[in-house]
Amino acid sequence: MDNYLDQLPAFIETIASIKETILTNIVLIGQVPSPTFKEKKRAQVFLDRLAEFQVDECTTDGYRNPIGVIRGTSGAKAPIFVVAHLDTFFGKDIDHNFKVDKNLITGPGIADNSVSVGVLLSLPEIFRRLDLRFESDIVIAGVIQSIGKGNLRGIRHLVKTWSTPIRGAVCIEGAELGRLSYYSDGMIRCEVDCIISTIDGWEKKFRPNAILVLNEVINRIMELRLPQRPRCRVIIGKVTGGFKHGIIPYNATLGFEIQGVSDKMVKSVYRDIKDLVEGVSHEFEVELNLKTISNLSAARLKYNHPLVKSAVAVMEKLELKPISSPSESELSIFLANKIPAITLGITHGEDYHQPDTHIEIEPIFKGIAQIIGVLMAIDRGVCDE
Amino acid sequence: MNNDWLMKNTFHYSEFMDISRLVEVKKQKNLSISLCLPTLNEEKTIAKEIIIMKSELMTLYPLLDEIVVIDSGSTDKTLEVAKAFGADVFEADQILPELEKFRGKGENLWKALYVTKGDIIVYLDADIKNIHHRFAYGLIGPLLMTENIKYSKAFYDRPIAIGKNKVRPTGGGRVTELVIRPLFSLFFPELTQIIQPLSGEYAGFRELFEKIPFPIGYGIETSMILDICEKWGLDVIGQVDLERRVHRNQDTKALGKMSFVILKTFLDRIKKLEFIDLKKETFNEMIQYNLVKNEFKPDIFNVDGLERPPIIEIPEYREKFNIRP
Repeated sequence: MDNYLDQLPAFIETIASIKETILTNIVLIGQVPSPTFKEKKRAQVFLDRLAEFQVDECTTDGYRNPIGVIRGTSGAKAPIFVVAHLDTFFGKDIDHNFKVDKNLITGPGIADNSVSVGVLLSLPEIFRRLDLRFESDIVIAGVIQSIGKGNLRGIRHLVKTWSTPIRGAVCIEGAELGRLSYYSDGMIRCEVDCIISTIDGWEKKFRPNAILVLNEVINRIMELRLPQRPRCRVIIGKVTGGFKHGIIPYNATLGFEIQGVSDKMVKSVYRDIKDLVEGVSHEFEVELNLKTISNLSAARLKYNHPLVKSAVAVMEKLELKPISSPSESELSIFLANKIPAITLGITHGEDYHQPDTHIEIEPIFKGIAQIIGVLMAIDRGVCDE
Repeated sequence: MNNDWLMKNTFHYSEFMDISRLVEVKKQKNLSISLCLPTLNEEKTIAKEIIIMKSELMTLYPLLDEIVVIDSGSTDKTLEVAKAFGADVFEADQILPELEKFRGKGENLWKALYVTKGDIIVYLDADIKNIHHRFAYGLIGPLLMTENIKYSKAFYDRPIAIGKNKVRPTGGGRVTELVIRPLFSLFFPELTQIIQPLSGEYAGFRELFEKIPFPIGYGIETSMILDICEKWGLDVIGQVDLERRVHRNQDTKALGKMSFVILKTFLDRIKKLEFIDLKKETFNEMIQYNLVKNEFKPDIFNVDGLERPPIIEIPEYREKFNIRP
């Protein structure tokens, strides 16, 4: 079992020897804008690149997730999935041309999640260079409609409709190298829209202020008593609204997430928030709409699950310190479907969601070696128990 | 004017997407190909150009035999970055050092002929923000896949980058439409079929490049077309649609300077061809004005109109490439 671990440090150098190919994949895929629901062009480039690397099967599933399959040697073993989401937070009108420096790549969406997609595309060539064959088929999937209102639709469809059992999965996120996610919290993502009617006419100078109404909603959420056990929290993540400094805003939106290790508790907090939103609506005589835009069930592997233990061993062999954190991404869909899976980070980065975010080049090679180590572990049966 | 040439000699890069076929033909014809990137403070884009070309056209498909950067005195990290990504980097001043030193794009391209080894040379500007390997294989395609074409030139849609992160979908090509196209229409109407005569991306056989003079600055694109056309005819020229090219937007004053150089080069050429007879020598200074503290101050840009002779006339070149007199 340890044998494959010993090979990992030497892999880094071989992976780095095709640095140009890996960086080219990252740049070529990352420069194609891919906001959620508009990933078609990036999905096509994804398939074209896989075909360029002569991947055995390149296709899309019924939901248009682009997929490549590298055939395994066994023919009987269930496939192993490696996935990264194709969508990013940036719209098509943003200049997506990346800047490559000696050790940095800068550009919108690079950390979340273009670097991962580029790495995914490079895996076939890396396997070839390392002369690696797997018993299982390796399914390389770029999944669409993942973030925000996408609500993980792509991965949900892919897992739900895959015709065979899935042996295990590795989800890739751009940052940070060292993260090891093996559990996902229960989550409900909501928006509250405050709309002040303008029917009364423009001359009504003292109509309610939509932002202040939402401020009241926030204050009341803050007053909720949230339990320490099971752990649960509300993250106020986004506020938009208003027109200009001197005009009373008549619409505003608040975005928040309820996260917790217990689905029951998350739902209970959601009900409390629903009640308080209705209360504020009544008291301020304004229209408040609470919408659920996405939700996930809590799921986890235990820390002593062989996949988690193997991932820790791989990371330690590569002198990476594993940091565990929950992941509300593709991971949760695999785990909810009882498929052993983990999420790993590729490199270090900064300002992940700013247009001029950047990532470091050098750690990518170790990040890839780590993914290969985990794939080798799964192929050796750590998920089969 | 008939537009036969436009129909016959215009290509789309996608016609040459089968790169393995290009590699095969290159081998059959026993040719070597060099990519030359002339630079001056291009640290933001140079690495990307090198990695993509190296990965796609050297590692995956051995279409290019070398990538050479010729720099005319960058003060940023251009040289360091280019070396880090494995390009052969030369400072223009260090090439043929016994010759008088000049600065300019044309100078870099001319000196590239001395340091590169290829039978075909691909010149790409180093400031292409959306660089893709089609920029190289698209230009190489007609040279390998046709018998008559010896020089291929790019044309594109040219969106320009505005502000920090926004792209405007149309624009660019102002000097082409306001200066060069009217001139071609007046003197060489057949050349108006070249959609973007000033594009900075072109490729050709060494045997052509070595036999024509190179203006040291902006005039190089204009003179190259006129000289090639005069010596070998329009049929050896092809043009390739490379679709989209995102480049830095230049202000009107900078374009004014560029236009001045192009006009000067053009006048020199038509004078040599005895198309016109100027009764007076033209001046070498482009004069623009800046308003400084409510006062108009002249901003003078000097152009000597210097040219390098055909490099085949340089003894060191003849010796290096074993060319007998």
